[in-house]
Amino acid sequence: MIGYYISLALRSLRGTPILSALMVAAIAVGVGASMTVLTLNYMMSQNALAHKNDVLYAVQLDSWDPNQTFNRGDGGNDIPLQLTYQDATALLRSDIPARQVAMHRYGFTVTLEDSEARPFTAETRVSTRDFFALFDVPFIYGGTWAEDADLSPEQLVVLSKATNDRLFGGADSVGQIVNLNGEPFTVVGVIDNWNPSPKIYDLNNNPFADSEELFIPFGLHRRFEMVSWGNTNGWSAGDNGYEGYEARLFGESVWIQYWVELNSAEQKSQYDEFLTGYIRQQKEQGRFPRPLKFALTPPSEWLVLNDVLEDDNRVLGWVSLAFLLVCVVNAIALLLAKFLRKAPEAGVRRALGASRHAIFMQHLIESMCIGVLGGLFGIVLALIGLSGIRALTLGIADRIASMDWLMMLAAIVLAILASLLAGIYPAWRISRTNPSVYLKSQ
Amino acid sequence: MLNMHNIRKSYRTDTVETHALRDFSLSVDEGEFVSVTGPSGSGKTTFLNIAGLLETPTGGEYHLDGQEVSGLSDRERSRLRNEKIGFIFQGFNLIPDLNLFDNIDVPLRYRGFDSKERKRRIEKSLEQVGLSARVKHLPAQLSGGQQQRVAIARALAGEPRFLLADEPTGNLDSLMARQVMELLELINQAGTTIVMVTHDPDLARRAHRNIQIVDGQVSDLRNTIGAEEAAVA
Amino acid sequence: MLELKPMLSALWRNKVAALLIALQLALTLAIVSNATVIVMERIDKMARPTGMDLENIFSVTFKPVDNNYDMAGAMQADLDLIRSLPGVIDASVTHQIPLSGSGSASGYYTEPNQVVGSFTANYYQTDPHFIEALGLNLVEGRNFLDNEMYTIGQNDRHNPAVVIVTKRFAERVFPDESAVGKFLYAGADDHPTQIIGVIERHLGAWPGWSLGGNAVFVPLFVTNKQAHYVVRTESGQRDALLKQVEAQLAERDPERVIKLATLSEQLAESYVGDNLMVKVLTVVIALLTLIVALGIVGLTFFWINQRTKQIGVRRALGATRANISRYFLVENSMIAGSGLLLGAAGATTINEILVRDLSQPVLPLSLLFLCALLLLSVSLVAALSPAMRAANISPAVATRSV
Repeated sequence: MIGYYISLALRSLRGTPILSALMVAAIAVGVGASMTVLTLNYMMSQNALAHKNDVLYAVQLDSWDPNQTFNRGDGGNDIPLQLTYQDATALLRSDIPARQVAMHRYGFTVTLEDSEARPFTAETRVSTRDFFALFDVPFIYGGTWAEDADLSPEQLVVLSKATNDRLFGGADSVGQIVNLNGEPFTVVGVIDNWNPSPKIYDLNNNPFADSEELFIPFGLHRRFEMVSWGNTNGWSAGDNGYEGYEARLFGESVWIQYWVELNSAEQKSQYDEFLTGYIRQQKEQGRFPRPLKFALTPPSEWLVLNDVLEDDNRVLGWVSLAFLLVCVVNAIALLLAKFLRKAPEAGVRRALGASRHAIFMQHLIESMCIGVLGGLFGIVLALIGLSGIRALTLGIADRIASMDWLMMLAAIVLAILASLLAGIYPAWRISRTNPSVYLKSQ
Repeated sequence: MLNMHNIRKSYRTDTVETHALRDFSLSVDEGEFVSVTGPSGSGKTTFLNIAGLLETPTGGEYHLDGQEVSGLSDRERSRLRNEKIGFIFQGFNLIPDLNLFDNIDVPLRYRGFDSKERKRRIEKSLEQVGLSARVKHLPAQLSGGQQQRVAIARALAGEPRFLLADEPTGNLDSLMARQVMELLELINQAGTTIVMVTHDPDLARRAHRNIQIVDGQVSDLRNTIGAEEAAVA
Repeated sequence: MLELKPMLSALWRNKVAALLIALQLALTLAIVSNATVIVMERIDKMARPTGMDLENIFSVTFKPVDNNYDMAGAMQADLDLIRSLPGVIDASVTHQIPLSGSGSASGYYTEPNQVVGSFTANYYQTDPHFIEALGLNLVEGRNFLDNEMYTIGQNDRHNPAVVIVTKRFAERVFPDESAVGKFLYAGADDHPTQIIGVIERHLGAWPGWSLGGNAVFVPLFVTNKQAHYVVRTESGQRDALLKQVEAQLAERDPERVIKLATLSEQLAESYVGDNLMVKVLTVVIALLTLIVALGIVGLTFFWINQRTKQIGVRRALGATRANISRYFLVENSMIAGSGLLLGAAGATTINEILVRDLSQPVLPLSLLFLCALLLLSVSLVAALSPAMRAANISPAVATRSV
């Protein structure tokens, strides 16, 4: 019977091409607009660490100013989003977490010995060795550095696939030398393509930036007097008894991102205790002047806490859904007009043995056909809308303004739902009209 | 075949209540050809709609083929209408954007026949009304008489026990009207019960029995004319 | 003269169709008015003057290959070279590029050893050329002197003796009096820093920042792993000089990575989000109005078709064409009016939520009224052609049988 209804629907749509086109257009425009915005919001809300959401935690310690809370917009929890260097190195000494990472962003000038290639600046992640295992980063060649390199300066480097392609033409470069700021570094590993968006492991600055091109051990700070190439927030400019770069390392500025992997509830509660103990001990030494507060946040909540989806994105999301609603109301009106014009035919069908239910289904399926067509055109409109957004955002949103198969499927489903919503009342109305009215001759 | 007892039907608008049928009783036997006449507004159409299960009576009993139908659900009534009743209208009521094949196909679709069976029945019924050659034509390409024959073919395709005709010749000239009438008589002779509403006393007389409705009631149950007598008159 | 009562009862019988039109207009008004106020706010925001000679400035960033590079020497040589090029008005060193989204902010106090009650400002470590190099306007006091300029290492501490501030910051910290000659403190510290000059305007590093326009300039060069310059050229020579500077700096010392960008590019990038809001919402407003207009046209046509007979009877009974089209237009305005009234209530409620939870601007009543008026006229225009069609229905329709 469904096949029959579909053939009737297509015949009916062909019968009134202008009205049908208007309805398809209403659904297509509504779906196109909402899918453009919803795709953007969906891509911005991706959690690349969803599969480890139960075991990974971003660590925050409230080491902030006694006179005011750390305040960053309305999405925060009043605790600094990063740690001080001294706290990060202290936490690294705990053996409770299965894995832990202290890190920040930096930049090096890259050159190769005996190469004519122009030097270039490479985004660099300065991190402890667990980075790759904790975030599930795949290696092509080699692997991470040994633990020693995070404690004492060893000039080792892991290259991204793109960097290895650029420097070594994609060959196994483990053991080769790369000059960073003119100093020789030995390649220990090359990772495969890995570029989570949003960049969940470090949401400071642009959350949709590409992941880094180089990775170097955490033990090199003093050797290169590195500072963060991301946000650094401070509150105490006072003298802390250290001079030069040491004053920076032992200062109260926060600039280190810290993640732990805790594989059981037991590990988690042990770690809670450990952090409580650490803050208590620091308080005795005159640090941590605020009430004792820390937070362990899983990836999904970390995205919310960092306001990755901004207010503007939410506004656009709601606007686009309201837009779709107007299109649905519009389609209700047009469908009502179309169906009531065909009321005599429905009367004949009733006389020939169609039940109200059959008439209802026939017209609902006609609405669904409009929905499917609207959905297909809606995908086209959404693709146009997204390319418009890519152009407007000057390349910043290139990776988030693109549709995957799931979103295309969602567009069709949304269109069918919208058309069903639009079709229910008109189909019900025509299935309820008294057939005898239309059977009497003209 | 059809048995109505004390059927009442009233319509209600905002202010007035109109009684279309009052204590209407009628019995039609299997194989009969009954004509129904009466002045405009007497309740003929209401009777036909109730008989054809398009409307439900406000009160009374209605047995169709031995089954009490007034309490049935819409779905059951639709099935009965589909299987046991064929409709013929004054205005033919063919669906204008379907060709003859698809028009006759409509009741068979709701019946749930497979495509082979549907094709067989459509071809057979078109042959019965002599229009096999026009199967791909649209209704608008046919004359009025041909359209009415298609409508009859559509009514017959489901092999109903019971045919309801509402002024079947009202829109036709006399020659075409005669052809249609002869077709109906042929169908009746083959065993189908027919109830026909008409204005035309000549047509009415050609039925086995004539019933007159006045003010929503049967005016004279004894007014029965045999087919032979009608032919003489 | 206007038959309101029969009109209302006709509306009641077609209540679903009337309701659908009214509902569409209500939703549209709610969306369009709120979208308009957001668009207007963003356009105003993007049109704010930056205080700089935006179109004629580009920035230079360089990072040497060698870890132990003579940054101070290179800076002096680079700037001397750039300033010597014909067409260059001036160039200065700055620790961050204005409008780039990268910047520094600090809290300033008015009393020594204060720890609460600071005034936050965006600060720049720059040199005495910055006013000329950015095309700023010094409205009070004086520029830095060459001997007030210091060069320090990355980890060295330095308390500046003098600063120049923007007028906006000056008025916030010292309302109703001149800031020139006043002192600022870094907090928990008693080292005084004197304000020697006031700049008319400088939007700073983050145009979207709530404190944007509060800026402080310090005469200081910190030798770091990279350095930035800003270069201002004669009008129209920016793009040519950008290429020339890139080539000459690379030639002077090839052992470094050099990156150049115009300030207008930086500004466009920092307004990407606002620009996106403006464009997307404008498209939404336009499409929505179009769709609603088409819906009204379609539905009114259908409705008039439904009532052809009734219209014919009216015409037969003596109604003029004008009577008929007026009837439908009045009917349309009644529906539209009630829809827009509902929409106005919806718009206000939605705006309250937008203001409270999503940091959007307040919708002024005048704008809401203007949007409603606009939609009312759109609805009337949309109903015009069907109403004319209705007026052309022949009275003869009435005499045709049912």
